[in-house]
Amino acid sequence: GVCPLGPVPHTTDQLYQQAMEDAAWHHMPHPSDSERIRQYLPRNPCPTPPYHHQMPPPHSDTVEFYQRLSTETLFFIFYYLEGTKAQYLAAKALKKQSWRFHTKYMMWFQRHEEPKTITDEFEQGTYIYFDYEKWGQRKKEGFTFEYRYLEDRDLQ
Amino acid sequence: ERAHGGPNFMMHSGISQASEYDDPPGLREKAEYLLREWVNLYHSAAAGRDSTKAFSAFVGQMHQQGILKTDDLITRFFRLCTEMCVEISYRAQAEQQHNPAANPTMIRAKCYHNLDAFVRLIALLVKHSGEATNTVTKINLLNKVLGIVVGVLLQDHEVRQSEFQQLPYHRIFIMLLLELNAPEHVLETINFQTLTAFCNTFHILRPTKAAGFVYAWLELISHRIFIARMLAHTPQQKGWPMYAQLLIDLFKYLAPFLRNVELTKPMQILYKGTLRVLLVLLHDFPEFLCDYHYGFCDVIPPNCIQLRNLILSAFPRNMRLPDPFTPNLKVDMLSEINIAPRILTNFTGVMPPQFKKDLDSYLKTRSPVTFLSELRSNLQVSNEPGNRYNIQLINALVLYVGTQAIAHIHNKGSTPSMSTITHSAHMDIFQNLAVDLDTEGRYLFLNAIANQLRYPNSHTHYFSCTMLYLFAEANTEAIQEQITRVLLERLIVNRPHPWGLLITFIELIKNPAFKFWNHEFVHCAPEIEKLFQSVAQCCMGQKQA
Repeated sequence: GVCPLGPVPHTTDQLYQQAMEDAAWHHMPHPSDSERIRQYLPRNPCPTPPYHHQMPPPHSDTVEFYQRLSTETLFFIFYYLEGTKAQYLAAKALKKQSWRFHTKYMMWFQRHEEPKTITDEFEQGTYIYFDYEKWGQRKKEGFTFEYRYLEDRDLQ
Repeated sequence: ERAHGGPNFMMHSGISQASEYDDPPGLREKAEYLLREWVNLYHSAAAGRDSTKAFSAFVGQMHQQGILKTDDLITRFFRLCTEMCVEISYRAQAEQQHNPAANPTMIRAKCYHNLDAFVRLIALLVKHSGEATNTVTKINLLNKVLGIVVGVLLQDHEVRQSEFQQLPYHRIFIMLLLELNAPEHVLETINFQTLTAFCNTFHILRPTKAAGFVYAWLELISHRIFIARMLAHTPQQKGWPMYAQLLIDLFKYLAPFLRNVELTKPMQILYKGTLRVLLVLLHDFPEFLCDYHYGFCDVIPPNCIQLRNLILSAFPRNMRLPDPFTPNLKVDMLSEINIAPRILTNFTGVMPPQFKKDLDSYLKTRSPVTFLSELRSNLQVSNEPGNRYNIQLINALVLYVGTQAIAHIHNKGSTPSMSTITHSAHMDIFQNLAVDLDTEGRYLFLNAIANQLRYPNSHTHYFSCTMLYLFAEANTEAIQEQITRVLLERLIVNRPHPWGLLITFIELIKNPAFKFWNHEFVHCAPEIEKLFQSVAQCCMGQKQA
């Protein structure tokens, strides 16, 4: 750099400011300091080699991208990234693939076949659901899905 | 400042109450008990959505403990809670230092655990204070709490010095900002006052006042939600002047370090962060940078070419700039050239009243000639090299005389051009400054002109003609060399380059009337000659080749 007007000695105040900034530099804010707590996947920055992807692919924050992910990935995002835009997009993609969320069991269900019975209050038949404790898909025959437990908010 | 009891009063009373330690006996224990209770409630499963269930239970407890009896006790409660959260953060950091094997993520989570709970409590108390429609009590409480946190921070900063930690305060401020910007009706109705309260807070904590907080401070003012709310969401651009003030605070802090170009590593990091924020603003809010360019350039040191180019390159999004490299581009044919840009800084205020009076009188009557000979002494403030001139006054004088000249030419039924700008009281002043000032003064004077060479508008056009005229009419080569230097040094840096600057420089080297290539200084050294050739190639070669 150039200093066309020549250097001017710093005042005592400025020297003090610089010393305080130097001290602050040793404990800079961490990215997570200004984010909501991430219970399961906390940020853990570390040096990665330059030949690795440093950035996710472009447009990976659209519902179209999420629809290209496997259902297991979507379930993982749903349960492990709570309260984020990612969770919202995952829920949206799952809904588009005819999965329905059960608010009492907190699990996602998909019809395996046309329900045997459909009333105003419930439907009954065979369903595939995702068990987050066993971490896998299960089949349940003769299951009654009560509509009052159906999460039916329109995700805009 | 509003009347006694207004938001500003609340904030300042909060700040001063942060250092009152004559707490009634037992209050600290009560506060400690309550805060611990609340942290547990906040993290319990039964807290309800947004902790509302837990909150109503907790308010009952606060009543029972007598905390809500008087304003004074509530204030003390907040101060004690802030201090406890800060203490917990320091203990966690100490634990990390004594036991490097400890998991740093867990250490941070421990701090967040308490801070987030405290923030939610503040947010709920603000939201539910007074009647639903009573915005005054809510805003007063918010200002009070922010004032208390500011007071605790400033004291902590002063007492712990280099041991000061930004984390707890950073998280309290950002999380509270996010909580209070949630999409809820009650919060929307007080949003502007909320943003005002945060702006005042950040202004009080500006880096010249709390340098140990500077990194967190920059993160706060450049947070995406804060920028979006201040510059995009708030109607009628009411957030713009407050945000401009925060940027000026940042530039003022950086200025003495940047001007000496001896940048320590921490200062380099801060400078890089500043560049990033400016790039975001240039991309997303160019009109904001346009409107406040004068105030920013006034505080950015003259040697910070790139920082200033970012600001001067901003232009309104609906405008299409003609390619400066187009051969035979007729700048005076552009319709925008007659439109004046918006200047939202009161630059005439810098001029002392008597000086302004004499100046106006000279512009009107073109006399007395002594005004010109005294001009230099009016601008000079000391004899110390590098600090001789009042830069703000030079900037104000240049812009004021220029805008007066444009108005004067328009009044005569004409438009500014190479011939209409000459032989006037306005040009007398400019020519006098070019001839009479020493190298330092002339450098600052020419920089003040170059700061107006931006997107197509009446100022750009007028000052472009003025710069070229000063070059053509110069009585010494030294003036021409300095004009060339000021233009060139703004172009040899990386992009962006302001449009008007390119236009002016291209005109200088292309138009044979200026006999640019005949000058000694162009050929003074082989590397300089090469530089000119490469710039000339870059300016003219591409399109013609």
